Amino acid sequence: MCCSHELTEKDLAPITANPIFLEKIKGMRFFDPHVHMTSRTTDDYQAMADAGVVAIIEPAFWLGQPRTGVDTFRDYFNSLIGWERFRSSQFGIKHYCTIGLNSKEANNERLAEQVMEILPLFIYKEGVVGVGEIGFDDQTPAEDKYYRAQLELAKEAMLPVQIHTPHRDKKKGTQRSMDIAIEHGLDPRMIIVDHNNEETVKEVLDRGFWAAFTIYPFTKMGNERMVEIVKQYGSERIMINSAADWGISDPLAVPKTAALMLERGISIKDIELVCYQNAIDAFAQSGQINVSEFDTVKEIDQNLKYNGSSVLRGGQQPRVDKNATIIR
Amino acid sequence: MDYVYDKERMSALLYQIVAQQAGDKAELWLRQKAEVWQQSGALQQFNLTFSAIPRFIGKNQIIIDSTQEAALKAIVPGFSVQGWPADRVARAWWLLQLPVADKTAYVKQLETLFDAAEMNELAALYGALPLLAFPEEWTLRTAEGIRSNIGTVQEAIMLNNPYPALYLSEAAWNQLVMKAIFTDKQIGRIIGLDERANAALAAVLTDYAHERWAAGRTVNPMLWRLVGPFVNETSFSDIKRVWNSENTIEREAAALACAQTTYAPAIELLRERPALKAEIDADVLNWNLLSEKLN
Repeated sequence: MCCSHELTEKDLAPITANPIFLEKIKGMRFFDPHVHMTSRTTDDYQAMADAGVVAIIEPAFWLGQPRTGVDTFRDYFNSLIGWERFRSSQFGIKHYCTIGLNSKEANNERLAEQVMEILPLFIYKEGVVGVGEIGFDDQTPAEDKYYRAQLELAKEAMLPVQIHTPHRDKKKGTQRSMDIAIEHGLDPRMIIVDHNNEETVKEVLDRGFWAAFTIYPFTKMGNERMVEIVKQYGSERIMINSAADWGISDPLAVPKTAALMLERGISIKDIELVCYQNAIDAFAQSGQINVSEFDTVKEIDQNLKYNGSSVLRGGQQPRVDKNATIIR
Repeated sequence: MDYVYDKERMSALLYQIVAQQAGDKAELWLRQKAEVWQQSGALQQFNLTFSAIPRFIGKNQIIIDSTQEAALKAIVPGFSVQGWPADRVARAWWLLQLPVADKTAYVKQLETLFDAAEMNELAALYGALPLLAFPEEWTLRTAEGIRSNIGTVQEAIMLNNPYPALYLSEAAWNQLVMKAIFTDKQIGRIIGLDERANAALAAVLTDYAHERWAAGRTVNPMLWRLVGPFVNETSFSDIKRVWNSENTIEREAAALACAQTTYAPAIELLRERPALKAEIDADVLNWNLLSEKLN
């Protein structure tokens, strides 16, 4: 809504019914394999849980402001396997992460060397399902160097790799990322190439890699375009994510796109593959995803806190009625 | 002093529990890792095994029988692994495999584990506090853990853990109890709760109760267990307020608090309800039973 629109009483009334998209996808389960929850509020967790998101992957990324010391990387990695994971569990969402040195900050070589030293402390941790997100931003020599070093690390740890493809010169950057991965002897099936578009998808799929799409307003994919891509390429090795972060983005992008796909005639089976199962299959190659945990995370606090006592207290977050004027 | 208890017996017992409940394959993996570690002494190996334990040991809940429970408590009073996930028990055992000859190196290695620990590792490390060598070295770390916002980590320190009551300063102890109440833990499971009750804590808790009341929120009746022994003129008005509550459990809590003190007006008050007093005298009403009613 903007300036040309006259506000009416109706616009100001609180929304009481569920949005239509939620009704459509009721009962479906979603896996968002790329979302930066560090930058989001707990309200987003609640909305995601309500929309059927049962598990997420949070890739290590650039926080929007360059870091000046290795300790802030350490604390960030720690938060991905600690606080953020706990915060997620409070909403019954299973939280995984990928750990890596992002491409932008690979350009600070002094720091990058120190980060490479601490990465082995983190990539073997429980719930770390890959090395990521790594790859190219500016496509500089330093980015090339640390991308290669991290591919070697992933190979040694037998972990999937989550590749960030550049915003600028995307097509070439994507090709180059794949070439280098092959050069280092990685199996394309262990590599998830992220942020694809109409220009990159065919080659990524043809070469046997996983193709991930980021539904992100203005700069990446829109979900209407996404529907067309699934219509054209099918559902094999394709997955979608929100990559929601500190920018204008939408943590409900996966469930919303599922609703749109349903509306536009894509089969339930294909929707399930693209919005849930493919991401699990790709990242479960880490040996770190156990689907039964999507259910147990809903009671995990209980189990861990009260040693099997059947009573839930102080565990999951109490519900708050967002539409109420009264805050208690 | 490195270990203040019989470490060899504890290590053997924990290993037996893990082996029994995690299965042969898991036991074999653990044994092999221990052999490699003993031969190589490479810290990276130690760290990797510590991280990898859940993958091979699993997270099934450990149920021990009363003999094992008694045996654990005979070695380290108050310590038990009842209800722990299997990986946590295995991690506790793994920590006992660290050499203690060089204290500085031992402490540094433990601190490294703490500094790069994920959520479950943190819970395992804090849960193993009563088993660590050089117990006096971990008080600041424990205080740091109490500041955590992660529920599982807080509980690993606060509940069924004999370490804090033995080693924390009064200020740190009071912070632990206060935070446990604030975060709605089952405070009856804090080891040493009554032994370490103190006047300063009682004063903090009555202030806290006032804040809750002012905000129109309820107060955990268990709080009065810690105020009871230190009832004075000021807090007696609070006890009377709870005594006159419409809620049965709150009235019982007030009665129990009165039974804990020599403060004459409180003793007088308790006489007004002879039925409650009789229940307390006969031990059919006590804090543990009250705690169960609450949960």
